[in-house]
Amino acid sequence: MKGTADDRPSRPAPAQLFSPGADAIYRLVLMTAAACLVALPVLGAGIVRSNYVTGVGVAPSQPVPFSHKHHSGELGIDCRYCHTGVEKTASAGIPPTHTCMTCHSQIWTGSDMLKPVRESYEQDKPLVWRRLNKLPGYVYFNHSVHVTKGVGCSTCHGDVTSMQMTYRANAFEMSFCLDCHRAPEKYLRTPAEVWNMEWAPPSDQATLGPQLVARYHVRGGERLTECGICHR
Amino acid sequence: MALRDAEPAIRPGETLRSIGERVGEIALVHPSGKRWWIAFAGAGLLVGLFALTLGYLLYEGVGIWGNNNAVVWALDIASYDWWIGVACGSLLVSGILLLLEAEWRGAVNRIAETVALLATAAAGLYPIIHLGRPWFFYWNLPYPNTFDLWPQFRSPLLWDAIDIVSFLVVAVSLWYIGLLPDIAALRDRAHAEATRQAEEVAPTRTKARLRAQTYGVLASGWRGSAAHWQIWGQAYRIVALLGVLLVVSVQTGASVMLAGSVMPGWHGTLMPVSFLIHAVLSGVGVTAAILVLVRGVYRLDAVITGRHLDALARLLLCLGCASAYCYAAEIFDTLLAGDAAGRAVLLRRMAGGHALAFWVAVLGLVLPPQLFWSARLRRSPPALAAAGILVAAGAYADHVMILVVTLTQDFLPSSRLPYGVDIWGIATFVGSLGLFLALVLLFIRYLPSVSITQVRRLVPPEESRQALPPGGGRAGAPSPDGAPLWGVAAAFGSEAELAAALQALTPSRGRIRLDGYGPVPMPRTLRALGLEGRSILPYALAGSLAGGAGFYGLCLYATAYDYVFLIGGRPRFSWPSFVVPSVSFAMLTGCLAVHAALLWLNRLPRLNHPAFNIPDFLRATDDRFFLAAELQGDGAEVLRIERRLTALPVGGGRPVALARIPR
Repeated sequence: MKGTADDRPSRPAPAQLFSPGADAIYRLVLMTAAACLVALPVLGAGIVRSNYVTGVGVAPSQPVPFSHKHHSGELGIDCRYCHTGVEKTASAGIPPTHTCMTCHSQIWTGSDMLKPVRESYEQDKPLVWRRLNKLPGYVYFNHSVHVTKGVGCSTCHGDVTSMQMTYRANAFEMSFCLDCHRAPEKYLRTPAEVWNMEWAPPSDQATLGPQLVARYHVRGGERLTECGICHR
Repeated sequence: MALRDAEPAIRPGETLRSIGERVGEIALVHPSGKRWWIAFAGAGLLVGLFALTLGYLLYEGVGIWGNNNAVVWALDIASYDWWIGVACGSLLVSGILLLLEAEWRGAVNRIAETVALLATAAAGLYPIIHLGRPWFFYWNLPYPNTFDLWPQFRSPLLWDAIDIVSFLVVAVSLWYIGLLPDIAALRDRAHAEATRQAEEVAPTRTKARLRAQTYGVLASGWRGSAAHWQIWGQAYRIVALLGVLLVVSVQTGASVMLAGSVMPGWHGTLMPVSFLIHAVLSGVGVTAAILVLVRGVYRLDAVITGRHLDALARLLLCLGCASAYCYAAEIFDTLLAGDAAGRAVLLRRMAGGHALAFWVAVLGLVLPPQLFWSARLRRSPPALAAAGILVAAGAYADHVMILVVTLTQDFLPSSRLPYGVDIWGIATFVGSLGLFLALVLLFIRYLPSVSITQVRRLVPPEESRQALPPGGGRAGAPSPDGAPLWGVAAAFGSEAELAAALQALTPSRGRIRLDGYGPVPMPRTLRALGLEGRSILPYALAGSLAGGAGFYGLCLYATAYDYVFLIGGRPRFSWPSFVVPSVSFAMLTGCLAVHAALLWLNRLPRLNHPAFNIPDFLRATDDRFFLAAELQGDGAEVLRIERRLTALPVGGGRPVALARIPR
């Protein structure tokens, strides 16, 4: 200080509290915080939808390495041969060991791979399969009404006939159900096509769909999106 | 009115420096530390109780409150309504005092704003923890979800969620913006102390420096420039206005939530008004109690004077009378024009199983304020604190009465199950009280509990007695050690002198950038700098309108187009129900826009700045005013500026000190 007339002696300027670099760090922290505010929810939403959480495309190991591709795709066994309840009951049903043994008591009877099946049959103890498609307890889903009203297997379960080991094809989140419940005409098939695992909407789906909706007496929109349709 | 020519709102003889010392000392030196620790330990125990209760609640479910019957809203929602009422009330008082430019507000504003913020913090937990599955609380907010659903925008429950988020943002903003220059004052005091300790090589010097830097980061590089003060004042007032509007939206929204049901006793047309009045009454009560506490413990009667107590007491009296009117009108209206169910509710309130709540409410809200017809009691701190606590208790009882009495007996005889106040409900509330008190104690421990800035505005300007000898200014090299120069700085004892000096320099300033720094807002300096026209109102307006319109658009898109969910016969385009959350959201985005403008227009944060190199600049947040002339080219103009300044008359712009500032 060159000159002062104050009663208190003038202090020399103390060193600055912060170095020039502190500003860059402070602004970086502020901007990072702001970015995190946006990025963290986006990241969270991404993780929740990822296959890691939903399990889509992940084939878990099963007591027997059963191949849908071989049995259903290559050998042509109908879905209903094993999943017998699909047209009549809420649950499609997991086949009992007896169903396996209808064939495997005659073919591949000595196969090591099928040992658990034979043991299950001998001991009268069911095979414990790892379940793939789960719904919460408050969702009341019925296979029979979907299958008989033109919703094909592959719409929900994907092309099972191409799966060597079976995996979950869709995350059964509410939005997945609502996509169809809000616009059933985009998904409905003729009865003959329900079991077609390679079904894709035909070119005339735009005209066929509404006709099918009428033929099956499906009331889309206002009726199918009522809460009580799935939750009771 | 007597209030207007009452004694000054500050003890005579206080100066800019003495106010900063008196208030800053509490945060930095902290007298009466032992009593603080005892109080904090007590509050900490209650916080522990809160944690215990919440743990048990999460484990066992909301049934522990005893209201898993038709009385779905009991102490949980009463506590929430009460806390948010206290928050709304204190925010409203603070905001209105600020908008009306009540000159004495400095001693009250800060505590009112703090009560608003901390009560919101205590309130904010309740809407989450009273849910059956608290971890899904975000389901009430509009976000892109895997259900493919939208929340119900026509429901007051959604309005409430938006309200509390907005209210939290506005309360934090009002509190922090008001605090900003005061934190800078603390930073500079702490910095001076840290420098002293560093020179003495004191053992605590690292801690002292860390403390100064903590305040420094919080102050975001506030330098008290005239331009800073201008934008700051505008930001503070705009956020206060947004807060006042939001308070009305929140409190009426809370009463509409009740009116939206079919329950008897919840449809009085006066209810939004009485909600607001009781909120303000409880807010003023809690603010007054804490003000008296802080004044007594830290002997702040120099800045929190009898006049402040008097003003708060008068406010309580007015609101107490308004509350009496609300009760009388409701009773009169029900008896005169109410239906049988309404009359039955009134009777049950007065004489039913929960009649205690009614009588505590009426006696607590209406009677204690009547004390203040006496001028002697209006100035008695114990009377003010006691009345404040009593009206707060009355407001709580009022919320319990409104909720519980109606819910214990609705139109379905089968659901008339008894409800008794449960120990866990009380424990939860006491725990939230502990959280509030612990935060209040932390606040008065580390931050100025009285606004240094606002109180300083009451100090009459004083002329400095000394000045540099005329004809100062030294020829030769601009900087002694050859370092590049940032500019020339001059120190003044008052704003008037600073403004006079700036006016003298302005005509010939050329490319030199002039600025003034000081510890209080400086309108005259601003005029001298020619910056008066700047306004952040357009930013705030644009932010609010964009947010409000955006939210309204979202409601319309979701409800009328994307997710048509017809409920209760309401039309697809039910526009009135979207107004409330849109207004609340507009307040939030307006607030964020104000923050952005405050930082951007002031070029903050700037922790390191050449102005901090000015000798004695720490006193720019204390009792000194500085002029800085930032040189653009070579240092040739240095001499001219120095000569011009030292040639000014004493008291008319002659500085008390001059210095050349390195870059």
